[in-house]
Amino acid sequence: MSLPPFANEPVLELRRAPVRAGLADALREHDARGPLEVPVWVGADKRSGDALVSTDPGTPDRVVATSAAATEADVDAALAGATGAARAWGNRPAGERADVLRRAAAALRERRLELAALEVRECAKPWPEADADVCEAIDFLEYYARGALELAEGAELLQVPGERNTMAWRPRGVCAVISPWNFPVAIPCGMAAAALGTGNTVVLKPAEQAPGCAFALVRALREAGVPPDALALLPGEGEVGAKLVRDPRVHTIAFTGSSAVGLEIVRAAAETPDGQPHLKRVIAEMGGKNCVIVDADADLDEVVPALVKSAFLYAGQKCSAASRVLCHAAIHDGLVERLAGAVSVLEVGQAEFLDVDVPPVIEREAAERVARYTEQAEGTGRIAARARDVPAEGWFATPAVATELPAGSPVLEEEIFGPLLAVERVRDVEEACDRVDASPFGLTGGLFARNPDTVDRVVERTPVGNLYVNRAVTGAMVARQPFGGNRRSGTGTKAGGPAYLLQFVEPQVVCENTMRHGLVV
Amino acid sequence: MREAALERELLEVGRRLHAALPAATRNPLAAADEKAMELAAQDAELKAALFRFVDVVPACRSLDDLARHLTGFLGEVESPPPPVAVALRMGASRAGRKALGAASAAGVRHMAHRFIIGESPQAALPTLRGLWRDGVASTVDLLGEATVTEAEAERYAARCEGALAVLPAAAREWSERPALECDGAGALPRANLSVKVSALTPLLRPDAPARGQRDAAERLRPLLRSAREGGAHLHIDMESLDSRDAVLELVLELLGEEEFRAGPSAGMVLQAYLRDSPETLDAVLAWAEGAGAGRAHPLTVRLVKGAYWDHEVVEAAQHGWSAPVFQEKADSDRNFEELSRRLIDARGRLRPAIASHNLRSVAHAIAYNRLTGGDPLDVEYQILRGLGDPIAQAIAALGLRVRAYCPVGDLVAGMSYLVRRLLENTSNDSFLADQAKGVGVEELLAAP
Repeated sequence: MSLPPFANEPVLELRRAPVRAGLADALREHDARGPLEVPVWVGADKRSGDALVSTDPGTPDRVVATSAAATEADVDAALAGATGAARAWGNRPAGERADVLRRAAAALRERRLELAALEVRECAKPWPEADADVCEAIDFLEYYARGALELAEGAELLQVPGERNTMAWRPRGVCAVISPWNFPVAIPCGMAAAALGTGNTVVLKPAEQAPGCAFALVRALREAGVPPDALALLPGEGEVGAKLVRDPRVHTIAFTGSSAVGLEIVRAAAETPDGQPHLKRVIAEMGGKNCVIVDADADLDEVVPALVKSAFLYAGQKCSAASRVLCHAAIHDGLVERLAGAVSVLEVGQAEFLDVDVPPVIEREAAERVARYTEQAEGTGRIAARARDVPAEGWFATPAVATELPAGSPVLEEEIFGPLLAVERVRDVEEACDRVDASPFGLTGGLFARNPDTVDRVVERTPVGNLYVNRAVTGAMVARQPFGGNRRSGTGTKAGGPAYLLQFVEPQVVCENTMRHGLVV
Repeated sequence: MREAALERELLEVGRRLHAALPAATRNPLAAADEKAMELAAQDAELKAALFRFVDVVPACRSLDDLARHLTGFLGEVESPPPPVAVALRMGASRAGRKALGAASAAGVRHMAHRFIIGESPQAALPTLRGLWRDGVASTVDLLGEATVTEAEAERYAARCEGALAVLPAAAREWSERPALECDGAGALPRANLSVKVSALTPLLRPDAPARGQRDAAERLRPLLRSAREGGAHLHIDMESLDSRDAVLELVLELLGEEEFRAGPSAGMVLQAYLRDSPETLDAVLAWAEGAGAGRAHPLTVRLVKGAYWDHEVVEAAQHGWSAPVFQEKADSDRNFEELSRRLIDARGRLRPAIASHNLRSVAHAIAYNRLTGGDPLDVEYQILRGLGDPIAQAIAALGLRVRAYCPVGDLVAGMSYLVRRLLENTSNDSFLADQAKGVGVEELLAAP
């Protein structure tokens, strides 16, 4: 079976007015439907409830979804079902599983605006980013469908007379998928699609802030033909994930989220309790403290808009977002001045409005965290600029640029995950590289430099998983920029890349003797 | 009108234009100082290397730094021609780098000065006066950094105000040039300034034009007033499709306001490489008969092919959108002729300004205007300073009104402009390249 070559799902061309006009309608329709009821969904059983309430971060009294929370018994039932379904799903021809993924892609494609509207409300994800998230989910389904088909062909091995050598990749078994809220459809979709496409069964524990988006995804996958027991939805708080991670029935854990939780998972997964006949594998995408190096020959006309985009779109709540700028001393002051001017005119407001540059952050705790770091920056350094009018209601953080911070400041070392960008002065690119090196993180990095020799040098030195040269550091595209961090930012796996699916399978080599009594068959 | 008659007239006008090209510059790429461009036109890698170098010159901090950049770029050229090999050898020593840096900086400055006529409007006045004396009107474009802050928008607006003070005052002293000063619709200002909306606001967002439009309007209205009071023409330039609708809407809205009915003379730009440019013209024509009908000065529409072709194609490809521009140059050329005719048909309601260096495109407009009974001065021709000077002279020699687009500003600000011009100049299917290759007049005038 061969499929047409992969191409990214085109995002909405929002620079055209007629395309923009459809958005308000989609949001109206979304609002008219009322809050989503998200069940714990195990096999055919749907149990609804209101243990979790997901609200619009910009208007916290607007309920977007009410959700049941999975109990210990739900986790147990989901894992029993997934274990039982693993053999049958794994034995389905790869082509059938690929068809299922592609049918799910088609379903998402048909409901793009509806899903994006849900993201606008549930996660305060602005339209262009919400649309891009749904497109990325479609991309993951299409890309992994093709990858799984390719993997099913096995590997070419050297053959000599008298033996037949084959290598195949087999599903590992039950995969626990633990997903974040910031790419509320794409990330759970990518992890689940990779596992399902390669013949594993999935138990999904989505972020408690975004159960509605996860439900929409699971529904699309189920309707596309994923058997009920092969995909369970377990909304809930952290302890649901913790139970999944420790359970001996789980073979693979695909996690995207904070560094603290990621490290905890890596530790827990290393245990091999009695009754667990396998080693668990962890695929983890964790935090970052992403640095953009700006050399003296950079064009500030390009640097400033790219930094604003990298650090402030979606209020800086992307693991790829820029957090530190390491700028050559020769142009540091000029950059700070222009960046400050650009940040002070950022419009902060509700995600639904296209002319808003910076939406609210996800929850109260996040707004408070950003405020704490900003205060710290002000106390030990200087706030060069703040966005002006920030709404009082809703979980808004004030976009800001911090400079003149002392070495070792937590503002420079810890992941803030919000709209606060620190600018540091460096002697040269070498010193910038030293500072990047000193950080335990290694997710994304940026470089603005025009001398090709400088670019080569930084490429060689940088530990980051994704380096962006002379452009923004966010917006990785499936198949174009396989994404994932190194060091403590992740396990070095690249979502949307050619080797990602190998994390979900186990290789098996068979060597068969084909000679008997001198007869080669 | 019969196509055959138009083609006959076009050929005749074209031959006369060609004959009127100044002899020494019939081949605009042949001058000795343009060896680099000639080399570049033949080798895509070398072209990229040289353009990236030109682009980075203002950001280099020393001759050594310049030389290191130059050799860095040239080092990526796979099979360097002899002059490049020499440069690379020079780059190996400190003294060599100093010499190489100085030579290359001088080369880039020289090239920039061909396109950029002065650091400020004041400094540009002698050139503008010289053009006028030679029968060529001008429009001044103030080059600058991108506007990302309010302060930058204010600075750009202030520079525009400055130009609107300096230019009309100086132009009053120029001698009379009837062909440049009036058409069937009335008098034409001598002073003419082209402005960019994206430079007037840091808030122009492709996905959400309204906020940027409001902000730009706050700075554009005073400029319109100053232009009216000083008796200058204000032309609103067009950039990429990202801002096209926002700019068009803003211009038509402001010019339709009661306050600006009496003036100033103003204009906008139509880009023929855009597939939907015919619909844009529909909108402009509808406006000219509606909200814009009572204006004292008909709206000038500068018809160009468009200077952001690569940008548009790349932007669309990266997003999976269909390209908004014609992929084939011939399609753009045909559309240009189509739009020329519609604009010329609308003379009186609009002021057509045909901006092209293509002999055929220019001859086509002249011929069409003549065959449809227009006064020769009802159509204006525009060219870019530094590229279209020979054809400007030829157009002027025919007694027609021609205007040169003259960038003003410092070298730093001018680089992106310069690179765009160089791209045009060395593009394989450019008219100027054909002309430089010595392609015959019949072929230059052949239908696209």
